[in-house]
Amino acid sequence: MRHRARPGIPLTLALALAAAGCSTATTTEDRASADRPSAAAAIDSCGRQLSFDRPPQRAVALDQTSTETLLELGLQDRMAGTANLKTKIPARYQEAYAKVPVIAPKIATGEQLRSAAPDFVVAGSADLYTKDRAGTREELAAVKVPAFVSAVDCPQQNEAGKSPFELLFSDYEQLGKVFGSEQRAGALAREQRAVVAKAGENAGRAAARDGGQPTVVYLYSVFNGMPYVAGGTGLPGEMSRIVGAKNAFDDVAEDWPEVSWEEVAARDPDFIVIGDLSERGRPGDSAAEKRAAMAGDPVVSRLAAVRENRIIEVPGIELDPSVRSVHTLGLLADAMKDLGYVR
Amino acid sequence: MSADPGTVDLLLPAARDVRVDGAPSRRVRAGRAGGPARTGLFLAGVLVLAVSVAAGTRIGAADVGWTDLGRVLGARLGLGTEPLPPLLDSLVWDLRLPRVLMAALVGASLAVCGTVLQAVTRNALADPYLLGVSSGASAGAVIAAVLPLALAGPGAGALGVTGGALVGALLSFGLLLALLRRTGLDSVRIALTGVVVGQLFTALTSLVLMASADADTTRALTHWLLGSMAPARWDAVAVCALVTPLGLAAAWLCANSLDGLAFGADTAASLGIGVRRTRMLLLVVTAVLTSVAVATVGAIGFVGLIVPHGVRLLVGPLHRVLLPHAALAGAVFLVWTDALARVAFAPREIPVGVITALLGVPLFLVVLRRKGEL
Repeated sequence: MRHRARPGIPLTLALALAAAGCSTATTTEDRASADRPSAAAAIDSCGRQLSFDRPPQRAVALDQTSTETLLELGLQDRMAGTANLKTKIPARYQEAYAKVPVIAPKIATGEQLRSAAPDFVVAGSADLYTKDRAGTREELAAVKVPAFVSAVDCPQQNEAGKSPFELLFSDYEQLGKVFGSEQRAGALAREQRAVVAKAGENAGRAAARDGGQPTVVYLYSVFNGMPYVAGGTGLPGEMSRIVGAKNAFDDVAEDWPEVSWEEVAARDPDFIVIGDLSERGRPGDSAAEKRAAMAGDPVVSRLAAVRENRIIEVPGIELDPSVRSVHTLGLLADAMKDLGYVR
Repeated sequence: MSADPGTVDLLLPAARDVRVDGAPSRRVRAGRAGGPARTGLFLAGVLVLAVSVAAGTRIGAADVGWTDLGRVLGARLGLGTEPLPPLLDSLVWDLRLPRVLMAALVGASLAVCGTVLQAVTRNALADPYLLGVSSGASAGAVIAAVLPLALAGPGAGALGVTGGALVGALLSFGLLLALLRRTGLDSVRIALTGVVVGQLFTALTSLVLMASADADTTRALTHWLLGSMAPARWDAVAVCALVTPLGLAAAWLCANSLDGLAFGADTAASLGIGVRRTRMLLLVVTAVLTSVAVATVGAIGFVGLIVPHGVRLLVGPLHRVLLPHAALAGAVFLVWTDALARVAFAPREIPVGVITALLGVPLFLVVLRRKGEL
């Protein structure tokens, strides 16, 4: 039991890499079709109509998730800047990433954004468009720079009940339309949809030892000794539903609430997912430190999940919605099988 | 505080420019300085401010040359010059220019508020935030930033922080006035009540932040709480440009009363100043000025505390002279510190409140050393 979680991870990694390899193979033919001239497009992004006379040539991505999405779509040659990198860019994007100028290491200001002369701005979150950051979307529209917000961060405009993954896929399709690379974007959405569907095969068959639904706690980071876990509004809640588990902190209406170790112990999860943030490199970020924190806590160390090492390590950054999130969903589904929660 | 006859004479307008023997010599300096010299200093200050605003507009993420600046102004003011590319034009006209003007207005406003409150409360540590207005504004801003998520759509967030801050600031001042209602408005009571109200709203701010804001909201608000000129736009400048001159004029008209109040209520009363009424008027003026400034750019520290002292060392304690010079000095100081905030750690921009203290402390110590006393 103790080591059964391990072999699953390299296997899924290999699968994911194979999938990434497939998508790179389509690059050249897609770029050819993407460069069609005068492809006017209009989309609706989080309550604003964005229209384009021609595909953007100088897009700026304001945060890491939108940067990675554009790179995954092979658009590095049409990017005029990125900003606000939280952690390392994964190896498979690094070559493309190196071609894109960094306009601000942290959150870009309106001056920095305008200096980059963008013709399109992409952000994963609407918070980046405020007066003291990049400027409001209205201000940018006034200077003819359409400002895109990921559907994931737009709860007011989305149809109810659409899962975060579906929202991510709709982003790909919207961006594909704007850049005139619908094929590439459609292929990406199809691939990721398939991963979600595969992980969903667990759902009907998942069961805890006592026959009920297995519960899980996602430990994101440990700061000043206090655990930050996944609440009910973030992506992990949805991931759990897909794989047939239940996020033990679903009742807390926050993305990453700070809770107490006592409360973690009280929820006594069947297994624990650790977000490895060692690339971020702050104290308490690495998976080893999180394991040590749990082993060192007098109550949590007594939990069955800790004693029997029913712990799954995943890249922490993938627990927030991004083009990489399906990778962790796959890890989760496989690890649950390995731990024996899928009949 | 009993005032010796020499200083009391000084307070009478007729005695202003008369040589006073036996009075503490440093305090009389302003009184002795001739009218023309003072006017010269003031005009030089105005010139420095104008140059600072122009130069400050050039500094930032993108360098803007004098010709670029001329082209933007020419095109916008309809002089028919060829405009810059739209994004660069927007950078200068929509972001840089209002920001620099806002810095000048807020700097002047804070320095004058500090000067007035130091006289009204007779407390060298008084600053514009003594009345708790900034804490009220912070609480309002934080509540407005956290609540819209639950209450309204995304539109509420845009106006939310500024509007919430203004409401919070005025509410906290209303509470202060309610608490001071039946009192004689003596200086210690004003200061203490202000501190208490401020503490209450600070606690509220922390409570709301801890209970409901997520890490991103907290980070965004920290920038505002430290004071940042980045959100300044023309609409905010227009409000400030309307309120600030009125407030400064009101304070200047009270200059003689302020001289009296600086010596204590009894002296002021004996000079025929309606102490309670004047104090109330000045409190309202400073609270409104501070609220308008804080609502847009947050609580920028230090300007309102140290600039009045620095200027007092240079031009003396008479408010008729002190107030206009403090306004100029505050404006120039904030224009330059904000320019520095934009470029010192480029490409990162730091809240100007951090720079004001970092730069202001040594500057002030230099002045203090040269003059030898407060």
